[in-house]
Amino acid sequence: MPVEQSSRLELRDLQLAQANRTVLEHVNGRFRDGAITALVGANGAGKSTLIQGIMGMLRPVAGKVVCAVPKERRAWLPQQLALDLTFPMSVEELVMTGSWPSHGALTGYCARHYRRGREVMARLGISHLAHRPLGELSGGQRQRALIGRTLMQEAELLLLDEPFANVDVETVEVLMTVLQQMAADGATIIVVLHDMEQLARLADEVVILNHGHAQWTTAREIVHSRPTAAESARLALGIPGVGA
Amino acid sequence: MLDTLLWWLTSPFDYAFMRRALVAALALSLSAPILGVFLTLRGMSLMGEALSHAILPGVAVAFMLAGFSLPLMMTGGVLAGLVTVALAGGVTQFSGLKEDAAMASLFLVAMAAGVLIVSLSGNALDLGHVLFGTILTVDSRTLMLVAVASSAIVLGVAIAFRALVMECLDPQFLTLQGRHAGWTHALFMMMVVLSLVVSFQTLGTLMAAGLMLLPAAAARYWSQRLEGMIAIAVGLALISSVVGLLVSYHAGLPSGPAIILLAGLGYGASVLLGTHSGLLLPYVRAKSAVAPGHAKLRQ
Repeated sequence: MPVEQSSRLELRDLQLAQANRTVLEHVNGRFRDGAITALVGANGAGKSTLIQGIMGMLRPVAGKVVCAVPKERRAWLPQQLALDLTFPMSVEELVMTGSWPSHGALTGYCARHYRRGREVMARLGISHLAHRPLGELSGGQRQRALIGRTLMQEAELLLLDEPFANVDVETVEVLMTVLQQMAADGATIIVVLHDMEQLARLADEVVILNHGHAQWTTAREIVHSRPTAAESARLALGIPGVGA
Repeated sequence: MLDTLLWWLTSPFDYAFMRRALVAALALSLSAPILGVFLTLRGMSLMGEALSHAILPGVAVAFMLAGFSLPLMMTGGVLAGLVTVALAGGVTQFSGLKEDAAMASLFLVAMAAGVLIVSLSGNALDLGHVLFGTILTVDSRTLMLVAVASSAIVLGVAIAFRALVMECLDPQFLTLQGRHAGWTHALFMMMVVLSLVVSFQTLGTLMAAGLMLLPAAAARYWSQRLEGMIAIAVGLALISSVVGLLVSYHAGLPSGPAIILLAGLGYGASVLLGTHSGLLLPYVRAKSAVAPGHAKLRQ
Protein backbone atom coordinates (compact mmCIF):
# COMPACT_ATOMS: atom_id res chain seq x y z
CA MET A 1 0.00 0.00 0.00
CA PRO A 2 1.63 3.25 -1.09
CA VAL A 3 1.19 5.32 2.08
CA GLU A 4 3.32 8.16 0.80
CA GLN A 5 0.73 9.10 -1.84
CA SER A 6 -2.13 11.48 -1.05
CA SER A 7 -5.28 9.99 0.36
CA ARG A 8 -8.49 11.59 1.57
CA LEU A 9 -10.03 8.36 2.81
CA GLU A 10 -8.41 6.25 5.47
CA LEU A 11 -9.59 3.34 7.61
CA ARG A 12 -8.01 3.09 11.04
CA ASP A 13 -8.33 -0.22 12.86
CA LEU A 14 -11.93 -0.36 11.73
CA GLN A 15 -14.32 -2.91 13.17
CA LEU A 16 -17.81 -3.22 11.70
CA ALA A 17 -20.71 -5.40 12.80
CA GLN A 18 -24.16 -6.29 11.48
CA ALA A 19 -26.84 -7.43 13.94
CA ASN A 20 -24.24 -7.70 16.74
CA ARG A 21 -22.06 -10.01 14.62
CA THR A 22 -18.60 -8.75 13.75
CA VAL A 23 -18.22 -8.75 9.98
CA LEU A 24 -14.88 -6.97 9.61
CA GLU A 25 -12.14 -6.18 12.12
CA HIS A 26 -8.73 -4.55 12.27
CA VAL A 27 -9.17 -3.00 8.86
CA ASN A 28 -6.39 -0.51 8.19
CA GLY A 29 -5.60 1.20 4.95
CA ARG A 30 -5.81 4.22 2.71
CA PHE A 31 -7.65 4.63 -0.55
CA ARG A 32 -5.36 6.52 -2.89
CA ASP A 33 -6.65 9.71 -4.54
CA GLY A 34 -7.01 9.34 -8.28
CA ALA A 35 -7.05 5.55 -8.06
CA ILE A 36 -9.75 2.99 -8.67
CA THR A 37 -9.85 0.46 -5.84
CA ALA A 38 -11.72 -2.77 -6.40
CA LEU A 39 -13.44 -4.34 -3.42
CA VAL A 40 -13.62 -8.10 -3.83
CA GLY A 41 -14.79 -10.96 -1.69
CA ALA A 42 -17.22 -13.83 -1.57
CA ASN A 43 -20.86 -13.22 -0.77
CA GLY A 44 -21.13 -12.30 2.90
CA ALA A 45 -17.47 -11.29 3.12
CA GLY A 46 -18.44 -7.76 4.14
CA LYS A 47 -18.25 -5.70 0.93
CA SER A 48 -21.58 -3.97 1.46
CA THR A 49 -20.83 -3.63 5.17
CA LEU A 50 -17.56 -1.87 4.42
CA ILE A 51 -19.28 0.45 1.94
CA GLN A 52 -21.93 1.28 4.53
CA GLY A 53 -19.18 1.97 7.05
CA ILE A 54 -17.36 4.28 4.65
CA MET A 55 -20.62 6.03 3.79
CA GLY A 56 -21.32 6.65 7.46
CA MET A 57 -24.48 4.57 7.39
CA LEU A 58 -23.03 2.03 9.83
CA ARG A 59 -21.39 3.17 13.04
CA PRO A 60 -18.04 1.40 13.64
CA VAL A 61 -17.78 -0.86 16.68
CA ALA A 62 -14.16 0.23 16.97
CA GLY A 63 -11.69 2.30 15.01
CA LYS A 64 -12.78 4.95 12.56
CA VAL A 65 -13.19 6.11 8.99
CA VAL A 66 -11.30 9.32 8.30
CA CYS A 67 -12.67 11.06 5.22
CA ALA A 68 -11.54 14.48 4.07
CA VAL A 69 -13.95 14.63 1.12
CA PRO A 70 -16.85 17.02 1.82
CA LYS A 71 -20.24 15.33 2.04
CA GLU A 72 -21.65 17.04 -1.04
CA ARG A 73 -18.81 15.55 -3.10
CA ARG A 74 -19.42 11.96 -1.92
CA ALA A 75 -21.46 9.90 -4.31
CA TRP A 76 -22.97 6.48 -4.10
CA LEU A 77 -24.10 4.30 -6.96
CA PRO A 78 -26.41 1.73 -5.41
CA GLN A 79 -27.22 -1.64 -6.82
CA GLN A 80 -30.05 -1.01 -9.28
CA LEU A 81 -32.50 -2.93 -7.13
CA ALA A 82 -32.12 -0.32 -4.39
CA LEU A 83 -33.91 2.26 -6.55
CA ASP A 84 -37.65 2.68 -6.89
CA LEU A 85 -37.88 2.34 -10.64
CA THR A 86 -41.57 3.19 -10.73
CA PHE A 87 -40.87 6.69 -9.47
CA PRO A 88 -42.11 9.23 -12.02
CA MET A 89 -38.83 10.83 -12.98
CA SER A 90 -37.09 11.32 -16.32
CA VAL A 91 -33.44 10.65 -17.08
CA GLU A 92 -32.68 14.36 -17.22
CA GLU A 93 -34.37 14.94 -13.87
CA LEU A 94 -32.37 12.10 -12.29
CA VAL A 95 -29.10 13.45 -13.66
CA MET A 96 -29.95 16.95 -12.42
CA THR A 97 -30.50 15.66 -8.87
CA GLY A 98 -26.71 15.34 -8.70
CA SER A 99 -26.56 19.12 -8.31
CA TRP A 100 -28.85 19.14 -5.25
CA PRO A 101 -26.20 18.50 -2.56
CA SER A 102 -24.16 21.56 -3.51
CA HIS A 103 -27.00 23.61 -4.93
CA GLY A 104 -29.35 23.52 -1.95
CA ALA A 105 -32.92 22.49 -1.39
CA LEU A 106 -34.76 25.57 -2.54
CA THR A 107 -32.81 27.11 -5.41
CA GLY A 108 -34.02 26.40 -8.91
CA TYR A 109 -31.80 25.30 -11.75
CA CYS A 110 -30.19 27.94 -13.94
CA ALA A 111 -28.97 27.72 -17.55
CA ARG A 112 -25.52 26.62 -16.36
CA HIS A 113 -26.98 23.54 -14.63
CA TYR A 114 -29.03 22.53 -17.66
CA ARG A 115 -25.99 23.00 -19.91
CA ARG A 116 -23.89 20.83 -17.62
CA GLY A 117 -26.67 18.23 -17.47
CA ARG A 118 -26.77 18.05 -21.26
CA GLU A 119 -22.97 17.72 -21.42
CA VAL A 120 -23.07 14.85 -18.91
CA MET A 121 -25.81 13.03 -20.83
CA ALA A 122 -23.93 13.49 -24.11
CA ARG A 123 -20.76 12.09 -22.53
CA LEU A 124 -22.68 8.98 -21.48
CA GLY A 125 -24.54 8.63 -24.77
CA ILE A 126 -27.98 9.10 -23.26
CA SER A 127 -28.97 12.51 -24.67
CA HIS A 128 -31.75 10.90 -26.71
CA LEU A 129 -33.23 9.44 -23.50
CA ALA A 130 -33.38 12.75 -21.61
CA HIS A 131 -37.16 12.82 -21.27
CA ARG A 132 -37.75 9.10 -20.92
CA PRO A 133 -39.11 7.85 -17.55
CA LEU A 134 -36.75 5.72 -15.45
CA GLY A 135 -39.15 2.79 -15.55
CA GLU A 136 -38.80 2.52 -19.34
CA LEU A 137 -35.00 2.24 -19.37
CA SER A 138 -32.93 -0.89 -19.82
CA GLY A 139 -30.50 -1.86 -17.06
CA GLY A 140 -27.58 -0.35 -18.96
CA GLN A 141 -29.37 2.91 -19.73
CA ARG A 142 -30.37 3.25 -16.10
CA GLN A 143 -26.81 2.67 -14.96
CA ARG A 144 -25.56 5.38 -17.32
CA ALA A 145 -28.17 7.77 -15.92
CA LEU A 146 -27.03 7.00 -12.37
CA ILE A 147 -23.39 7.58 -13.29
CA GLY A 148 -24.62 10.82 -14.89
CA ARG A 149 -25.91 11.88 -11.49
CA THR A 150 -22.48 11.35 -9.92
CA LEU A 151 -20.81 13.30 -12.74
CA MET A 152 -23.31 16.11 -12.19
CA GLN A 153 -22.37 16.01 -8.52
CA GLU A 154 -18.68 16.40 -9.48
CA ALA A 155 -18.02 13.59 -7.04
CA GLU A 156 -14.57 13.31 -5.47
CA LEU A 157 -15.36 10.07 -3.66
CA LEU A 158 -17.42 7.56 -5.57
CA LEU A 159 -18.65 4.20 -4.22
CA LEU A 160 -20.11 1.76 -6.70
CA ASP A 161 -21.78 -1.52 -5.78
CA GLU A 162 -21.54 -3.97 -8.68
CA PRO A 163 -21.99 -1.29 -11.36
CA PHE A 164 -21.64 -3.71 -14.27
CA ALA A 165 -24.20 -6.27 -13.14
CA ASN A 166 -26.99 -6.79 -15.66
CA VAL A 167 -25.77 -4.13 -18.09
CA ASP A 168 -24.88 -4.47 -21.76
CA VAL A 169 -21.31 -4.67 -23.07
CA GLU A 170 -21.45 -1.20 -24.64
CA THR A 171 -22.50 0.34 -21.33
CA VAL A 172 -19.65 -1.44 -19.54
CA GLU A 173 -17.21 0.17 -21.97
CA VAL A 174 -18.75 3.64 -21.56
CA LEU A 175 -18.81 3.37 -17.77
CA MET A 176 -15.22 2.11 -17.57
CA THR A 177 -14.03 5.03 -19.69
CA VAL A 178 -15.94 7.55 -17.56
CA LEU A 179 -14.67 6.05 -14.29
CA GLN A 180 -11.07 6.10 -15.55
CA GLN A 181 -11.49 9.76 -16.56
CA MET A 182 -12.93 10.60 -13.15
CA ALA A 183 -9.98 8.88 -11.47
CA ALA A 184 -7.56 10.71 -13.76
CA ASP A 185 -9.21 13.95 -12.59
CA GLY A 186 -8.33 13.01 -9.00
CA ALA A 187 -11.46 11.26 -7.72
CA THR A 188 -11.20 8.37 -5.27
CA ILE A 189 -13.23 5.49 -6.63
CA ILE A 190 -14.16 2.30 -4.80
CA VAL A 191 -15.97 -0.33 -6.77
CA VAL A 192 -17.36 -3.72 -5.75
CA LEU A 193 -16.49 -6.19 -8.50
CA HIS A 194 -17.00 -9.88 -9.11
CA ASP A 195 -15.51 -10.17 -12.59
CA MET A 196 -11.73 -10.67 -12.74
CA GLU A 197 -11.46 -9.45 -16.31
CA GLN A 198 -13.19 -6.20 -15.36
CA LEU A 199 -10.95 -5.96 -12.31
CA ALA A 200 -7.85 -6.39 -14.43
CA ARG A 201 -8.97 -3.69 -16.86
CA LEU A 202 -10.32 -1.15 -14.40
CA ALA A 203 -8.72 -1.36 -10.98
CA ASP A 204 -5.44 0.11 -9.81
CA GLU A 205 -5.64 -1.33 -6.32
CA VAL A 206 -7.58 -4.18 -4.81
CA VAL A 207 -8.93 -4.80 -1.33
CA ILE A 208 -9.67 -8.46 -0.73
CA LEU A 209 -12.14 -9.20 2.02
CA ASN A 210 -11.82 -12.65 3.49
CA HIS A 211 -12.70 -14.14 6.87
CA GLY A 212 -13.38 -10.75 8.41
CA HIS A 213 -10.10 -9.17 7.35
CA ALA A 214 -9.00 -6.89 4.54
CA GLN A 215 -5.91 -7.39 2.47
CA TRP A 216 -4.58 -4.56 0.31
CA THR A 217 -2.87 -5.39 -2.96
CA THR A 218 -2.68 -4.09 -6.52
CA ALA A 219 -4.49 -5.30 -9.59
CA ARG A 220 -1.13 -5.81 -11.25
CA GLU A 221 -0.04 -8.17 -8.49
CA ILE A 222 -3.23 -10.16 -8.74
CA VAL A 223 -3.12 -10.45 -12.51
CA HIS A 224 0.59 -11.04 -13.07
CA SER A 225 2.90 -11.88 -10.27
CA ARG A 226 2.11 -12.98 -6.79
CA PRO A 227 0.37 -16.30 -6.65
CA THR A 228 -0.66 -15.87 -3.01
CA ALA A 229 -2.53 -12.65 -3.72
CA ALA A 230 -4.01 -14.15 -6.86
CA GLU A 231 -5.06 -17.17 -4.93
CA SER A 232 -6.73 -14.98 -2.33
CA ALA A 233 -8.60 -13.09 -4.98
CA ARG A 234 -9.73 -16.23 -6.76
CA LEU A 235 -10.85 -17.65 -3.48
CA ALA A 236 -12.72 -14.47 -2.62
CA LEU A 237 -14.31 -14.19 -6.03
CA GLY A 238 -15.14 -17.84 -6.24
CA ILE A 239 -13.69 -18.18 -9.75
CA PRO A 240 -11.14 -20.66 -11.06
CA GLY A 241 -8.46 -18.44 -12.58
CA VAL A 242 -7.28 -15.15 -14.04
CA GLY A 243 -6.95 -14.53 -17.73
CA ALA A 244 -3.85 -12.37 -17.63
CA MET B 1 -80.96 26.59 -19.84
CA LEU B 2 -77.90 28.69 -19.05
CA ASP B 3 -79.82 30.41 -16.29
CA THR B 4 -80.75 27.06 -14.78
CA LEU B 5 -77.14 25.91 -14.88
CA LEU B 6 -75.99 29.16 -13.33
CA TRP B 7 -78.62 28.82 -10.62
CA TRP B 8 -77.56 25.20 -10.00
CA LEU B 9 -73.95 26.24 -9.68
CA THR B 10 -74.33 29.37 -7.56
CA SER B 11 -77.52 29.24 -5.53
CA PRO B 12 -76.16 26.93 -2.80
CA PHE B 13 -73.48 29.47 -2.03
CA ASP B 14 -76.02 32.10 -1.09
CA TYR B 15 -75.81 30.45 2.32
CA ALA B 16 -72.83 31.25 4.55
CA PHE B 17 -72.50 27.64 5.78
CA MET B 18 -72.14 26.46 2.16
CA ARG B 19 -69.54 29.11 1.42
CA ARG B 20 -67.54 28.05 4.49
CA ALA B 21 -67.89 24.39 3.51
CA LEU B 22 -66.68 25.25 0.01
CA VAL B 23 -63.61 27.10 1.26
CA ALA B 24 -62.77 24.28 3.72
CA ALA B 25 -63.11 21.64 1.00
CA LEU B 26 -61.01 23.67 -1.45
CA ALA B 27 -58.28 24.24 1.17
CA LEU B 28 -58.14 20.50 1.87
CA SER B 29 -58.14 19.74 -1.86
CA LEU B 30 -55.11 21.96 -2.36
CA SER B 31 -52.98 20.21 0.27
CA ALA B 32 -54.13 16.63 0.98
CA PRO B 33 -53.69 15.18 -2.55
CA ILE B 34 -50.05 16.35 -2.65
CA LEU B 35 -49.32 14.18 0.38
CA GLY B 36 -51.44 11.46 -1.20
CA VAL B 37 -49.22 11.43 -4.30
CA PHE B 38 -46.14 10.84 -2.14
CA LEU B 39 -47.98 8.20 -0.10
CA THR B 40 -49.00 6.27 -3.23
CA LEU B 41 -45.48 6.56 -4.66
CA ARG B 42 -44.09 5.06 -1.45
CA GLY B 43 -46.65 2.26 -1.56
CA MET B 44 -48.05 3.61 1.71
CA SER B 45 -51.65 4.32 0.73
CA LEU B 46 -53.02 1.93 3.30
CA MET B 47 -50.79 3.55 5.89
CA GLY B 48 -52.58 6.85 5.24
CA GLU B 49 -55.92 5.14 5.65
CA ALA B 50 -54.75 3.44 8.86
CA LEU B 51 -53.50 6.73 10.25
CA SER B 52 -56.86 8.38 9.67
CA HIS B 53 -58.32 5.87 12.14
CA ALA B 54 -55.36 6.05 14.51
CA ILE B 55 -56.09 9.69 15.33
CA LEU B 56 -59.53 8.80 16.70
CA PRO B 57 -58.63 8.08 20.38
CA GLY B 58 -56.82 11.42 20.71
CA VAL B 59 -59.75 13.27 19.21
CA ALA B 60 -62.21 11.36 21.39
CA VAL B 61 -60.30 12.05 24.61
CA ALA B 62 -60.12 15.75 23.74
CA PHE B 63 -63.85 15.70 22.98
CA MET B 64 -64.54 14.04 26.32
CA LEU B 65 -62.48 16.57 28.24
CA ALA B 66 -63.48 19.79 26.52
CA GLY B 67 -66.50 19.12 24.35
CA PHE B 68 -66.35 20.20 20.71
CA SER B 69 -63.15 22.23 20.86
CA LEU B 70 -61.41 21.93 17.54
CA PRO B 71 -57.94 23.06 18.65
CA LEU B 72 -57.95 20.50 21.46
CA MET B 73 -59.36 17.78 19.20
CA MET B 74 -56.67 18.57 16.67
CA THR B 75 -53.95 18.44 19.33
CA GLY B 76 -55.32 15.11 20.57
CA GLY B 77 -55.50 13.75 17.05
CA VAL B 78 -51.97 14.82 16.18
CA LEU B 79 -50.65 13.31 19.41
CA ALA B 80 -52.53 10.02 18.90
CA GLY B 81 -51.37 9.84 15.26
CA LEU B 82 -47.77 10.54 16.16
CA VAL B 83 -47.81 8.04 19.04
CA THR B 84 -49.22 5.38 16.69
CA VAL B 85 -46.58 6.15 14.03
CA ALA B 86 -43.82 6.07 16.64
CA LEU B 87 -45.12 2.81 18.13
CA ALA B 88 -45.41 1.21 14.70
CA GLY B 89 -41.88 2.39 13.86
CA GLY B 90 -40.57 1.09 17.18
CA VAL B 91 -42.26 -2.30 16.84
CA THR B 92 -40.90 -2.56 13.29
CA GLN B 93 -37.37 -1.61 14.26
CA PHE B 94 -37.06 -3.76 17.36
CA SER B 95 -39.15 -6.82 16.52
CA GLY B 96 -38.67 -7.03 12.76
CA LEU B 97 -42.43 -7.03 12.08
CA LYS B 98 -43.18 -5.20 8.83
CA GLU B 99 -44.41 -1.63 9.29
CA ASP B 100 -47.75 -2.22 7.56
CA ALA B 101 -48.57 -5.15 9.87
CA ALA B 102 -47.57 -3.16 12.95
CA MET B 103 -49.60 -0.20 11.75
CA ALA B 104 -52.67 -2.29 10.91
CA SER B 105 -52.66 -3.89 14.35
CA LEU B 106 -52.26 -0.57 16.14
CA PHE B 107 -54.86 1.29 14.11
CA LEU B 108 -57.49 -1.38 14.78
CA VAL B 109 -56.88 -1.05 18.50
CA ALA B 110 -56.88 2.76 18.22
CA MET B 111 -60.10 2.80 16.22
CA ALA B 112 -61.89 0.52 18.69
CA ALA B 113 -60.63 2.58 21.64
CA GLY B 114 -61.75 5.80 19.94
CA VAL B 115 -65.26 4.55 19.21
CA LEU B 116 -65.55 3.24 22.78
CA ILE B 117 -64.46 6.57 24.27
CA VAL B 118 -66.90 8.54 22.10
CA SER B 119 -69.74 6.11 22.93
CA LEU B 120 -69.07 6.41 26.64
CA SER B 121 -68.90 10.16 26.60
CA GLY B 122 -71.57 11.23 24.15
CA ASN B 123 -74.48 10.01 22.12
CA ALA B 124 -75.12 8.49 18.71
CA LEU B 125 -75.05 11.94 17.11
CA ASP B 126 -71.50 12.58 18.41
CA LEU B 127 -70.32 9.23 17.11
CA GLY B 128 -71.84 9.97 13.70
CA HIS B 129 -70.12 13.33 13.72
CA VAL B 130 -66.76 11.76 14.54
CA LEU B 131 -67.09 8.95 12.02
CA PHE B 132 -68.53 10.83 9.07
CA GLY B 133 -67.68 14.49 9.65
CA THR B 134 -69.93 17.48 9.17
CA ILE B 135 -68.51 19.80 6.59
CA LEU B 136 -71.66 21.92 6.63
CA THR B 137 -71.15 22.90 10.27
CA VAL B 138 -67.65 24.33 9.78
CA ASP B 139 -67.49 27.68 11.57
CA SER B 140 -65.14 30.57 10.84
CA ARG B 141 -62.64 29.52 13.51
CA THR B 142 -62.46 25.98 12.19
CA LEU B 143 -62.16 27.32 8.68
CA MET B 144 -59.19 29.41 9.71
CA LEU B 145 -57.52 26.36 11.25
CA VAL B 146 -58.14 24.29 8.13
CA ALA B 147 -56.71 27.06 5.95
CA VAL B 148 -53.65 27.58 8.14
CA ALA B 149 -52.95 23.82 8.35
CA SER B 150 -53.37 23.39 4.58
CA SER B 151 -51.07 26.34 3.88
CA ALA B 152 -48.49 24.94 6.30
CA ILE B 153 -48.61 21.57 4.53
CA VAL B 154 -48.18 23.10 1.07
CA LEU B 155 -45.29 25.21 2.37
CA GLY B 156 -43.74 22.21 4.17
CA VAL B 157 -43.87 20.08 1.02
CA ALA B 158 -42.38 22.93 -1.03
CA ILE B 159 -39.46 23.32 1.37
CA ALA B 160 -38.81 19.58 1.75
CA PHE B 161 -39.71 18.70 -1.85
CA ARG B 162 -36.28 17.58 -2.99
CA ALA B 163 -35.65 15.60 0.19
CA LEU B 164 -39.09 13.95 -0.12
CA VAL B 165 -38.40 13.02 -3.74
CA MET B 166 -35.00 11.58 -2.90
CA GLU B 167 -36.33 9.73 0.14
CA CYS B 168 -38.78 7.96 -2.18
CA LEU B 169 -36.30 7.31 -4.98
CA ASP B 170 -32.99 6.66 -3.26
CA PRO B 171 -32.85 7.18 0.54
CA GLN B 172 -29.17 6.28 0.66
CA PHE B 173 -28.35 9.32 -1.46
CA LEU B 174 -29.87 11.50 1.29
CA THR B 175 -28.00 9.63 4.01
CA LEU B 176 -24.71 10.06 2.21
CA GLN B 177 -25.27 13.81 2.16
CA GLY B 178 -25.62 13.77 5.94
CA ARG B 179 -29.36 14.36 5.76
CA HIS B 180 -30.89 11.49 7.64
CA ALA B 181 -33.74 10.00 5.61
CA GLY B 182 -35.54 9.22 8.89
CA TRP B 183 -36.08 12.92 9.60
CA THR B 184 -37.58 13.48 6.18
CA HIS B 185 -39.87 10.50 6.77
CA ALA B 186 -40.87 11.84 10.20
CA LEU B 187 -41.62 15.31 8.80
CA PHE B 188 -43.69 13.76 6.04
CA MET B 189 -45.69 11.58 8.43
CA MET B 190 -46.33 14.62 10.66
CA MET B 191 -47.76 16.47 7.69
CA VAL B 192 -49.94 13.45 6.86
CA VAL B 193 -51.27 13.33 10.43
CA LEU B 194 -51.96 17.09 10.42
CA SER B 195 -53.80 16.81 7.12
CA LEU B 196 -55.89 13.90 8.40
CA VAL B 197 -56.80 15.73 11.57
CA VAL B 198 -58.08 18.78 9.69
CA SER B 199 -59.88 16.54 7.19
CA PHE B 200 -61.42 14.71 10.12
CA GLN B 201 -63.65 17.68 10.99
CA THR B 202 -65.04 17.91 7.49
CA LEU B 203 -65.08 14.33 6.23
CA GLY B 204 -64.94 12.26 9.41
CA THR B 205 -62.45 9.64 10.45
CA LEU B 206 -63.85 7.06 8.03
CA MET B 207 -63.34 9.23 4.97
CA ALA B 208 -60.57 11.66 5.92
CA ALA B 209 -58.04 9.76 3.83
CA GLY B 210 -60.36 9.71 0.80
CA LEU B 211 -59.56 13.17 -0.49
CA MET B 212 -55.89 12.44 0.08
CA LEU B 213 -55.62 9.07 -1.62
CA LEU B 214 -58.28 8.73 -4.31
CA PRO B 215 -57.20 11.70 -6.49
CA ALA B 216 -53.55 10.69 -6.01
CA ALA B 217 -54.22 7.11 -7.10
CA ALA B 218 -56.19 8.39 -10.11
CA ALA B 219 -53.40 10.79 -11.14
CA ARG B 220 -50.98 7.89 -11.76
CA TYR B 221 -53.13 6.92 -14.75
CA TRP B 222 -52.71 10.31 -16.39
CA SER B 223 -49.12 11.39 -15.88
CA GLN B 224 -45.67 9.92 -15.52
CA ARG B 225 -44.21 13.10 -14.12
CA LEU B 226 -44.35 13.96 -10.44
CA GLU B 227 -45.41 17.56 -11.03
CA GLY B 228 -48.07 16.38 -13.48
CA MET B 229 -49.38 13.83 -10.99
CA ILE B 230 -49.61 16.45 -8.24
CA ALA B 231 -51.41 18.94 -10.53
CA ILE B 232 -53.89 16.30 -11.71
CA ALA B 233 -54.53 15.00 -8.19
CA VAL B 234 -55.17 18.51 -6.86
CA GLY B 235 -57.39 19.31 -9.86
CA LEU B 236 -59.44 16.16 -9.37
CA ALA B 237 -59.81 16.86 -5.65
CA LEU B 238 -60.96 20.42 -6.34
CA ILE B 239 -63.55 19.23 -8.88
CA SER B 240 -64.76 16.46 -6.53
CA SER B 241 -65.12 18.95 -3.68
CA VAL B 242 -67.07 21.58 -5.64
CA VAL B 243 -69.30 19.14 -7.53
CA GLY B 244 -69.73 16.97 -4.42
CA LEU B 245 -70.98 19.93 -2.41
CA LEU B 246 -73.33 21.00 -5.22
CA VAL B 247 -74.76 17.53 -5.67
CA SER B 248 -75.17 17.04 -1.94
CA TYR B 249 -77.02 20.35 -1.66
CA HIS B 250 -79.39 19.80 -4.57
CA ALA B 251 -80.00 16.08 -3.98
CA GLY B 252 -80.14 16.34 -0.21
CA LEU B 253 -77.24 13.92 0.29
CA PRO B 254 -74.58 13.97 3.03
CA SER B 255 -71.71 16.16 1.79
CA GLY B 256 -68.67 14.13 2.90
CA PRO B 257 -69.67 10.89 1.21
CA ALA B 258 -70.77 12.82 -1.91
CA ILE B 259 -67.31 14.39 -2.23
CA ILE B 260 -65.49 11.10 -1.67
CA LEU B 261 -67.80 9.19 -4.03
CA LEU B 262 -67.12 11.75 -6.76
CA ALA B 263 -63.38 11.37 -6.17
CA GLY B 264 -64.00 7.60 -6.41
CA LEU B 265 -65.82 8.13 -9.69
CA GLY B 266 -62.79 10.06 -10.94
CA TYR B 267 -60.57 7.18 -9.85
CA GLY B 268 -62.78 4.63 -11.64
CA ALA B 269 -62.77 6.71 -14.82
CA SER B 270 -58.99 7.03 -14.62
CA VAL B 271 -58.51 3.27 -14.21
CA LEU B 272 -60.55 2.76 -17.38
CA LEU B 273 -59.56 5.72 -19.53
CA GLY B 274 -56.17 6.84 -18.18
CA THR B 275 -53.48 7.51 -20.77
CA HIS B 276 -50.95 5.48 -18.76
CA SER B 277 -51.97 1.88 -18.10
CA GLY B 278 -55.70 2.66 -18.44
CA LEU B 279 -57.63 -0.60 -18.95
CA LEU B 280 -59.27 0.58 -22.16
CA LEU B 281 -56.06 2.04 -23.57
CA PRO B 282 -55.04 -1.08 -25.58
CA TYR B 283 -58.46 -1.08 -27.31
CA VAL B 284 -58.23 2.63 -28.14
CA ARG B 285 -54.70 2.13 -29.52
CA ALA B 286 -55.72 -0.90 -31.55
CA LYS B 287 -58.60 1.06 -33.03
CA SER B 288 -56.44 4.04 -33.94
CA ALA B 289 -53.80 1.70 -35.45
CA VAL B 290 -56.43 0.04 -37.65
CA ALA B 291 -58.01 3.31 -38.74
CA PRO B 292 -55.25 4.44 -41.21
CA GLY B 293 -55.43 1.04 -42.94
CA HIS B 294 -59.14 1.51 -43.49
CA ALA B 295 -58.47 4.95 -44.87
CA LYS B 296 -55.92 3.51 -47.29
CA LEU B 297 -58.33 0.80 -48.45
CA ARG B 298 -60.97 3.39 -49.16
CA GLN B 299 -58.52 5.36 -51.30
